[in-house]
Amino acid sequence: MTDVLIVGAGPAGLSAAISCAERGLQVQVIDEFMRPGGRLLGQLYQETDGSWWNGIEEAAKLQDKAASLGVVLKLGISVIDLNQSEDGWIVYTSTGILKAPALLLATGAAETACPIPGWTLPGVMSIGAAQVMTNVHRVRVGMRGVIVGINVLSMAIAHELELAGIKIAAMMLPAKNMINKDVGDPRKVMQSIVRLGHLAPSPLLRLGSGLMRYSSLQSLGLHLYPKRGFKVWGIPVQLRKAAVEIEGIEKVESVRVANISPEGDIVPSTSRSLPVDFVCMAGGLYPLAELAAVAGCPFRYVPELGGHVPLHNARMETPLAGLFVAGNITGIESAKIAAAQGSIAGLSIAAFHQVSGTEEDLLESIQNLRITREKASIQFHPQVADGRRRLESMFSENFS
Amino acid sequence: MKYGRVTYHPVLGTLDKRESLRFLFDDQEFEAYKGETIAAALLANGVRTLRRHEETGTPRGIYCNIGHCFECRVTIDGITGQRACLTVLKDGMNIRSGEMLPTPLKKGAH
Amino acid sequence: MESQSVIICRCEEVDLKQLLETAERFSCSSRELKLRSRAGMGYCGGRTCRLLVDSIVQQLTDTQTSNEIPLKHQPPVRPVTFQNLGGGLS
Repeated sequence: MTDVLIVGAGPAGLSAAISCAERGLQVQVIDEFMRPGGRLLGQLYQETDGSWWNGIEEAAKLQDKAASLGVVLKLGISVIDLNQSEDGWIVYTSTGILKAPALLLATGAAETACPIPGWTLPGVMSIGAAQVMTNVHRVRVGMRGVIVGINVLSMAIAHELELAGIKIAAMMLPAKNMINKDVGDPRKVMQSIVRLGHLAPSPLLRLGSGLMRYSSLQSLGLHLYPKRGFKVWGIPVQLRKAAVEIEGIEKVESVRVANISPEGDIVPSTSRSLPVDFVCMAGGLYPLAELAAVAGCPFRYVPELGGHVPLHNARMETPLAGLFVAGNITGIESAKIAAAQGSIAGLSIAAFHQVSGTEEDLLESIQNLRITREKASIQFHPQVADGRRRLESMFSENFS
Repeated sequence: MKYGRVTYHPVLGTLDKRESLRFLFDDQEFEAYKGETIAAALLANGVRTLRRHEETGTPRGIYCNIGHCFECRVTIDGITGQRACLTVLKDGMNIRSGEMLPTPLKKGAH
Repeated sequence: MESQSVIICRCEEVDLKQLLETAERFSCSSRELKLRSRAGMGYCGGRTCRLLVDSIVQQLTDTQTSNEIPLKHQPPVRPVTFQNLGGGLS
């Protein structure tokens, strides 16, 4: 008999599994991927103290702990549909039907597309695809490529590709159009990357933690932005260049690159072809919440959290009995936040199963998450805490 | 061109020796290592095109690499619609790329 | 405009031009645009283009994003074989 079924073996799902199993619950975790860890697996970066955050090691720690507590982990299983019955949740998977009184959806995030002509050619992949291929599967995505889309995630992965010996010719914006209006706008991109602060080893970007917060100086920075871009970890970061089209017949051969104005408009007669054999598209992340939608959970649109998120409270409960959420499905944040949310969800699920003495730990874990969030060095969105507060108040207005 | 593997990595370390295996992709034999996905092994061997769009025949390869986009779907031992990015290779697997399909109803009928 | 040739729905190969023309001609909701153009109706279930289709409709109709997801998620969230649909799923 399974007390709780967890969909997603990333940092949130595994942390929840550990916290449930520690309180004596029978836990089953399923995931589509062949290895546990979710997006944690690809992560590799240096902390402010110089130590390496190695996602593969972090995932292994969580996996070992979960296994030692008797958590059942099944990989390579896809969820197709789910519904609620009188006894709990019925989950239809690619290998059969699973049932449990409590269900935790920890399905993470998916990548937002930032299409430009030619993006269906073989050799064009999402930035996350390149990360997984390089760090998890240890296969080279190509010899020399371009990253289209400049954001916190793509900057980190650009560095990871360089570490693996894969040459990044440049990072640039996708040509601005109706669908790429934000990711193709140098002013908006500038605003988002100045938050990288200490991680940006270039004078202009480092100013971001101070002076560059003023929009007039950001605008000045864009006007003065050097043609060749600033080098970050040896990679030219070009806020004043855009990828107009990916060229090739059977696969990527080159990217047509043009100069752009500080507003993101193409400067006529400036385009040229840059020969590359792969292209990474980086449009950002959005919460992957399709299973919550199919379950009938109400949603709220909270842009600070990355879009539409299932309505939930600080205890990671949704308005549906026995349905819990944790990790990036609730908003785009780091793996550490996802893990902390997973621990809360686990305690909440123990409380749902009336395991005694969980309430105090639960309140403490909620407090810990708030502290972790305040201390986070990188945030995907600067107002994430505001978004969280708004969502929690929307929950209490409707469901308490 | 074979893109090959990231054998040495300054932080993640050197890849351990792994057992090799063989598989067929569109009747051509390839070598891979135990534990690799179809998509990873084919890319290491320089194969980027995994299928053609059913209607237009445009070439497609991996896009998301984690099972979300289904662009890498192939036929494995006769079973269609399998994601190359999520399927771990087995020795002797017979894989076929997706091909352009005849669409008689689309031509002139609409 | 050249940039309108960009494919939005990879699965069904629907480009921006088709979407804009359809949306303008029929003043579509996201759902209607999906049904008329097939964008979001392919193998991936709209996971790649859903937000783009929603964004196009939102900009054309000049509306605020609603709390509910504009383009409703329908099961199955992964393709299912006829064998499984027919009860082959144990």
